[in-house]
Amino acid sequence: MLTSGPVVVMQLPEQLNLDGVRTFLPELEPLLECHRPRIVLDCSQVRYIDSAGVEMMLHCLEEAMKRDGDLKLAALSPESEVILELMRVARVFEAFASSDEAVRSFNAVPAEAVPQDAPWVANVFGEIGALKQAS
Amino acid sequence: MLSAIVIVGPETREEEENCIAAGEVAATPPRAESEIQQGTPLVCVEILGRSVVTRLVGELRRAGVDQIAMVENDSGAPKDAVIDSAAKIELGSPELVSPELVSPEKVAQEVTRQVLTFKESGVEAILVGRVGAYVDMDFKDAFQFHREQGQAVTRAFDKEGPLDLWVIDPAWVSDGMDTLATLRAAEPVRYFVRGYVNRLEHPRDLRRLVVDGLTSRCGLRPQGSEIRPGVWTDEGAQVHRDARIVAPAFIGRGARIGEQCLITRCSNIESNSQVDYGTAVEDSSILPNSYVGIGLDLSHSIVDGNNLLNLERGVTVEIADPCVIRQNRVPQQEKNFQSPVAFGLGSAQVSPVEEGLR
Repeated sequence: MLTSGPVVVMQLPEQLNLDGVRTFLPELEPLLECHRPRIVLDCSQVRYIDSAGVEMMLHCLEEAMKRDGDLKLAALSPESEVILELMRVARVFEAFASSDEAVRSFNAVPAEAVPQDAPWVANVFGEIGALKQAS
Repeated sequence: MLSAIVIVGPETREEEENCIAAGEVAATPPRAESEIQQGTPLVCVEILGRSVVTRLVGELRRAGVDQIAMVENDSGAPKDAVIDSAAKIELGSPELVSPELVSPEKVAQEVTRQVLTFKESGVEAILVGRVGAYVDMDFKDAFQFHREQGQAVTRAFDKEGPLDLWVIDPAWVSDGMDTLATLRAAEPVRYFVRGYVNRLEHPRDLRRLVVDGLTSRCGLRPQGSEIRPGVWTDEGAQVHRDARIVAPAFIGRGARIGEQCLITRCSNIESNSQVDYGTAVEDSSILPNSYVGIGLDLSHSIVDGNNLLNLERGVTVEIADPCVIRQNRVPQQEKNFQSPVAFGLGSAQVSPVEEGLR
């Protein structure tokens, strides 16, 4: 696990299937329990991703947002992007070419600048819920 | 009497070398195999209901070609994929010679053997063609042109250069000659094809051909009937009443479109494929016997079984999760579509997607 200030960069496993999720999620979950978690999932090693992996990403994003944080993706391969788009979840995540860019993006727009009762917050939660149900 | 020899499959290394020896390096067409149907030439992939090979056989028959021999380069692709069932029906008539499956190095010999066989039967002219491109060509006119020129060899050209289509006098071919190499080296009379040509060098060209066919930019017409302007369906296609098909689009033989689906922007769903609940298919081709799962967003892609080629990103993804995409299981009895069309589009006649196929 790499850390960069308050932003945590986690390297996703090569196989993001049910087994991969079972190993990875216990490492990530404690980080989501703090106030305003800022997580970057580095996808550069990911070679395989299935619906279990996508569901885990959605679950983590939902948990992060509940605590006024965010989860961003970095270094997605074109193949992973195709799968996320196919499963209609690509638009839910902010994605960056590298982990550094993703980390920098957290500092570019302070989370405090966005009021917590903004209407889009509820909408995004609704969309994630629907996506999780579908997947 | 007219004859044709249709060569199916990629060019062999030996032929390429002959080509180089004949000083035609630049004219060597690239291999046009589908990246998603391993080893299958793109001309053998079913689009808008029939493959390019099948359509060519039909065109030759309409042009009055009495005998057609197919020489199939055994490139490792399944035989059924190379010459599909519709082509076999066309070849089933007594005047046509059954497809010959030969190893790549024997293609040239087989072509010569077929030419000599036709020569013995007293044919007037022989069309020799390697099916590598989709060509809108008036074959009758090409034979007439060849007759008028009075030369031994006529080769088809388009604005981009030579095509692998020749009309030859049988007398020109002698025993032991490598017909293909000699044809490439010959100085032919040029017959210019004024119609649409798509060289099918990349799967992207296959998508372009689908779009051009659906928008009437070429002579490739979808199979089946146009149930409303720009929407074609082949027999046995089933579209749920709550699905939306935006023209132009093609739904192939026995294909099923589930509830809340959206098929749009020149998409084609080929035979026995299934698009499940709530999925949107935009500017994409679903090749035969493919299943596309629930609630997906498919755009700018070609799907074949569990392989997805995204043309925008230029990547092929093999998806192991059968809930997402997979090879569709087609019940045996549904392969023969003898029953009347059961189709409902925005009407009360609805055939919901069967659970058994999921």
